[in-house]
Amino acid sequence: MMGFQVLETSKLLNYARARSLWIVTFCTGCGGVELPPTATARFDFERFGIISTPSIRQADLLLITGYVTPKTLKRIIIVYEMMRNPKYIIAHGSCPVNAGIYWDSYNTVKKLDLYIPVDVWIAGCMPRPEAILRALVKLMKMVKEGKALGWKRYLENFEFYRKNQDRLFGKDWRKREIEKLRFYIHD
Amino acid sequence: MSIQEMRRISGEGGRETFELIIGPVHMETENFSIIVTVEGDTVVEAKVNAGFLHRAFEKLAENRTYIQNVPLLLRVCVPDPDHAETAYSMAVEQLLDIEIPDRAKYIRTIVLEMARISAHLFWTFGMSAAVGLYTVGQWSVADRERFIELFEELTGARIYHIYNFPGGVRYDLPMGWTDKLMKVVNYMEKRLKEYDKVFFENDILITRSRGLAKISTEEAISLGVTGPNLRATGVPYDFRKLDPYAAYPYIDFEIPTGKYGDAYDRIMVRRREIEISLNIIKQAIKELPSGPIMAPIPHPLYYNVPPGDAYARVESSKGEFGFYVVSDGSDRPWRVHIRGPSFIHGVQLLEKLLKNVRIADIPVVLKSLDNCPPDIDR
Ligand code: SF4
Repeated sequence: MMGFQVLETSKLLNYARARSLWIVTFCTGCGGVELPPTATARFDFERFGIISTPSIRQADLLLITGYVTPKTLKRIIIVYEMMRNPKYIIAHGSCPVNAGIYWDSYNTVKKLDLYIPVDVWIAGCMPRPEAILRALVKLMKMVKEGKALGWKRYLENFEFYRKNQDRLFGKDWRKREIEKLRFYIHD
Repeated sequence: MSIQEMRRISGEGGRETFELIIGPVHMETENFSIIVTVEGDTVVEAKVNAGFLHRAFEKLAENRTYIQNVPLLLRVCVPDPDHAETAYSMAVEQLLDIEIPDRAKYIRTIVLEMARISAHLFWTFGMSAAVGLYTVGQWSVADRERFIELFEELTGARIYHIYNFPGGVRYDLPMGWTDKLMKVVNYMEKRLKEYDKVFFENDILITRSRGLAKISTEEAISLGVTGPNLRATGVPYDFRKLDPYAAYPYIDFEIPTGKYGDAYDRIMVRRREIEISLNIIKQAIKELPSGPIMAPIPHPLYYNVPPGDAYARVESSKGEFGFYVVSDGSDRPWRVHIRGPSFIHGVQLLEKLLKNVRIADIPVVLKSLDNCPPDIDR
């Protein structure tokens, strides 16, 4: 726990972190279609030092771009736990908030906040690139001030999150997921 | 490739095969994963693991009225939603037995062709990323923005413009909109030559995709492949000509076909389609009639539809997109079935084509088919 204290109060580190947020390229759901316009020539988030990287270990920002199905949520949790601290999440669109237009679907996750800690929410269906930029800038500000502490919440309330995840997927879901893939391959 | 797992599964006689799981955290597969068995550098067997985006549209549609279903069902195909809303509207129009006014037909044609161009430009972005030529990706997304801006002026939304409705279209064209569209069309025509120089006639693209993942016409037809992937094998099979809807019967255009059915042909068919769509837009603007834009529908919010069933299909940028709607006479559909194009060429055809392909060519094969994962899962 000592390590976190040092990291949290160091202003220089926070400044450096805010200025080079790297994104995991994991587009979940429809919002993924607004990411290329935000990343490329017209809106261009690279001027904020944000780059999308194919490697999970090098990234510190996970964008959840839309509805989350249980099958995707498993991957999201695995990806989130594989990222290194400190790490941030932006949830994008009204679907992660309350499942949006799919509120009565049997296969969407209704409250994302129960399973992973979200730092910034963007409302709208689908949010415009300007809104995504605004959220990114807001996250940069929060990181600079040391207020984006989702990753710490996840560590402190790990039992809570794990309990919710187990309730949705059943105990030992990681092991079963791997076995399912095996089955998939050999059938 | 980011989440990959390599596992050794057998090792008899010096022959070693590995399993490689590609996606869904991957730049090219977008939102589904492929499990490939590789021997050395060559794929022996491929299986698609889809279902990451399943939202149960067909069930949700049964709980919503016919009008409420328009904003729901257009979310089936994310890069190209206009074709989905048109196909659904056409199915409901068949059930209600109404004919849309001439002006609405022309406006629909213009909007659908704009949607086709922007979907193809979006695909160019993915294709260029698969080959590694990122410059073209930056250009094509920025050029797509010009069409998106026009859409925004017309409909108010960037991606999901709930515009084609049962009975016609929702708004008339704003003042001066067609002039702006003409400007963008002329710009795009000039711009395509630059695309050719940098991308479509580039040696890197040609060497990487010529002769890759060939399919014959018979195979494609027996699997049920439609759209540009079928046309690349040399068949001019296009519902705009075969079963014309909107204003296509009054418009003169040709259908591009390929010759060999390989990845490069599929790429070039799409590139030529952009050009032809630009031509269609020009003609449609020239002949745009005046008059009403909406046929009288029973009630703006909800209405009972006479019992029966209807199937309507459109030629979307990815292939045949159809809706099969069954009505029992109430204000909600009894059953809606969605026939998406990507389910066929994104699963069955892909599994077939990935055999004997090198690992580095998997993204090229995948992107040359232009599949759309939300439409596979529905
Ligand atoms: S909020 Fe809207 S755009 Fe975003 S995932 Fe949900 S339905 Fe799609």
